[in-house]
Amino acid sequence: MKERLRGLMLAGLLLHASLLTGCWNRRELNDLAVVVALGVDLEETGYLVTAQVVNPNEVRSQRSSSGSASVVTYTEKGVSIPDALQRMLGKVPRQLYLSHLRVMVFGESLARKGLIDVLDYAAREHDLRNDFYMLVAKGSKARDVLSVVTPFEKIPAESLFSSIMVSNKKWAATGRIKLQHFITVLDRGGSNPVLSGVRVEGDKKKGRNNDFLREIRPETMLKHEGLAVFRKDKLVGWLGEDDSKTVNYMINNVSGTTGFVPCPGRGKGSIGVSIMQSKTSIKAVKGEDGKPAFKVRHVLEANVDDVQCELDLSDPGSITLIEKELEDLARGNTASNIREVQRKFASDIYGFGEALHRQMPKEWAKYKSEWDSYFKTAKIEVNVEVALRKVGSILQPLKKDMEGQ
Amino acid sequence: MNAYESKGNDPDLRLPESLNEFQEAIIELMGDSSDIVYREVQFAGIGGLVVYVEGLADPSGILDSLMEAKNEDRTREGENGVSPGQALRELKINTLSEGRIMEIDSLGAASVCLLAGGTVVYLDGLAKALAAGTQNLKQRAVQEATSQSVVRGPREGFTESISDNTALIRRRIQNPSLRMRYFRMGEETRTSVVVMYMNGKADPNILRELYDKLEKADLPSILESNYIEEMIQDQRYSPFPTVYNSERPDVISSALLEGRIAILVDGSPFVLVVPALFMHYFQSSEDYYQRGDFASLVRLLRYFCFAIALLTPSFYIAITTYHQEMIPPNLLLSLIGQREGIPFPAFIEALIMEITFEILREAGIRLPKSIGQSVSIVGTLVIGQAAVEAGLISAAMVIVVSITAISNFALPAFNVGISARLLRFPFMVLSALFGLYGIIVLLIMLGLHLCKLESMGVPYMTSFAPFRLSDQKDALVRLMRPFARKYFGSLKKQPDPARPSEGSS
Repeated sequence: MKERLRGLMLAGLLLHASLLTGCWNRRELNDLAVVVALGVDLEETGYLVTAQVVNPNEVRSQRSSSGSASVVTYTEKGVSIPDALQRMLGKVPRQLYLSHLRVMVFGESLARKGLIDVLDYAAREHDLRNDFYMLVAKGSKARDVLSVVTPFEKIPAESLFSSIMVSNKKWAATGRIKLQHFITVLDRGGSNPVLSGVRVEGDKKKGRNNDFLREIRPETMLKHEGLAVFRKDKLVGWLGEDDSKTVNYMINNVSGTTGFVPCPGRGKGSIGVSIMQSKTSIKAVKGEDGKPAFKVRHVLEANVDDVQCELDLSDPGSITLIEKELEDLARGNTASNIREVQRKFASDIYGFGEALHRQMPKEWAKYKSEWDSYFKTAKIEVNVEVALRKVGSILQPLKKDMEGQ
Repeated sequence: MNAYESKGNDPDLRLPESLNEFQEAIIELMGDSSDIVYREVQFAGIGGLVVYVEGLADPSGILDSLMEAKNEDRTREGENGVSPGQALRELKINTLSEGRIMEIDSLGAASVCLLAGGTVVYLDGLAKALAAGTQNLKQRAVQEATSQSVVRGPREGFTESISDNTALIRRRIQNPSLRMRYFRMGEETRTSVVVMYMNGKADPNILRELYDKLEKADLPSILESNYIEEMIQDQRYSPFPTVYNSERPDVISSALLEGRIAILVDGSPFVLVVPALFMHYFQSSEDYYQRGDFASLVRLLRYFCFAIALLTPSFYIAITTYHQEMIPPNLLLSLIGQREGIPFPAFIEALIMEITFEILREAGIRLPKSIGQSVSIVGTLVIGQAAVEAGLISAAMVIVVSITAISNFALPAFNVGISARLLRFPFMVLSALFGLYGIIVLLIMLGLHLCKLESMGVPYMTSFAPFRLSDQKDALVRLMRPFARKYFGSLKKQPDPARPSEGSS
């Protein structure tokens, strides 16, 4: 009897526990405004925050669309980002939901002034899921980038997100950099971060309207372009396509790309190769003057995918020849690109300092405080090893066959 | 089996010594019921009375024998002066051809015999009568088991007649250690109950406990085996069944061979089995008639189905109202799109759908088959299409409820399906209040409950907790026969730490 009473009391208490708490942070799906992209620009008194919010009625696959845009872009000023987001609720009918953010775009002026305050917010906000990509709007405001409608993907942020994934995998001249990676590279001292750039191509105003997508060749498009070089959290300059590739090679962020070398020996034309594997390692050594120097070893595996010269590919010698050409070319490119970054930006985006830190911690301690200025003059030796694996479905170049007849 | 052993508390009156008094006594005891037939006969010159219940008994054999004996008497006329006692003896040994005949001397025994379909033969001048087994119940023939049908395997199902049912099992296990013990239970209905077990395999302690419980079960009437199930289960307030039941003789036979104990109840084709473990409810007899590898996959699927039937609606509620960040972005957008304009919160939506479904199911079971189909069509149209098109219910919720319902039907045992049905609702409430946290807490509580539960003193989760490696041949999966000649370890009653062991063995 007593036990039963105790059981009843326990049940009552449990019931209270469940009923008195209310439904805590319950939110129904249709109370959410899913923010897929967040843009941050600099304002005189703080930030201009742009949020791209999905209009769920338009992205539904079944129901035919009513013609309104599939996303809505809200813009609001605020002293801080959360402040701006709060003010934005005056316009948005629903609760802004940040967990499914795909991209975060920074205006170039903000990036030049420093991202550190924005990063603090992004890392602190528990709603943010930390799997979004970060981009810098090249030469424009983030707001402009987030106001362009894209073909294919109904949601522009989704389009940006997936094109970063695809281009990084197949082309290697863009960077897929997430918040955590950026902060790690920034914080560890011996390296500086990069971010991928995005640019609005064509008329910014036209891009806002769904209608222009009816054209087969839309005039306004979003384009990934190069990497932004940071020194600490401040943007210092932009890298071109080749330099961007070099950076990606150096930070082992290449899973595949293409390149070409001129035909060996006489004649014009080139041989196209696709890079299948790339592995770079940096070795810190003591130079002749006693100061630290670096040796870069870059191992590449490539396939031949396009031959424009009369070369006997059945001869192992010619394969070696191509490998040699490729090695020379890659070495030259890498070395000159690194030199240019050293000279122009004095920002160690490759992580040489990090290599020194790991391999010669005592040396690192000496240079730690002014690493970027030492990096400017550091001696760097590049070695490339290339292995050609496959020549494709046919052996001999068609040009050779044709002229042989 | 002794059908004429009186257990009731009838007046233990001795039979009167004269014919008229006998008839009056019977009438007094059983009332002047119209279905009781009194047939006057004569044997060896002594007047007699044959009493039986019309429809229950077939006395034609007895009457024929008596007629024949009378004719013989005529030819042997002159041999008069036989005492009633001698006549009764003569009748019992030489005349009546019935297999089961015994002498009775009390009114109570006579009434028991009559009600069980026997025939009472009384000779004038004796305080004794003969009771003959002449049961001739009109009953259903052995038909296919409808509640647990299989693609491959025996088709026979039990019937309502207990003697047919015991025979169906005997035929499968032709082994002298198959034992039966007869009980007559229920003051009012006096139903026959048979406990069946394999001597040497069944744990005597479990057997003793079962006998105890059966004897203590103070039931006025028993019309179906569930009456007994409710009295013998270990824990009354558990959503999980701790007594297994089956309509299939092959299932019961295999349970007996595993050392479990079967309880047959007259009038019900459903035979009970104790002890019943959690995993038994996921075994179908067909598992043993199909290839082991295939059966194993199907069995794993059933456990999965149980989880689906139990958790899907609550999981959906929790995920969509608390943990949206766990949904992949594209799926989330699609779900949001579907929920646009739905006037109810996800929990209410799920509740409406679940209750509608329960109503439909209940309606479908009760209705005659021909109407049942139209109900299900209306149901599908109402829930599946109209509600979604009217924008009252989201399409995703219809999918969730459907998969839940279908998974529920995939469970081979109906009663464990009921457990899932019952528990689904607390899960939904908790998920609406606390999200996944609530689901996990309830799952933990459920796990504790399952581990604490016992069936006839055997832990319910036996072979998982307590883990028994040898049982794994036939727990989650079923190994092929060459790898597992003997499938299951014996089930022993768990010694109670609070009670000292009861001496023997």
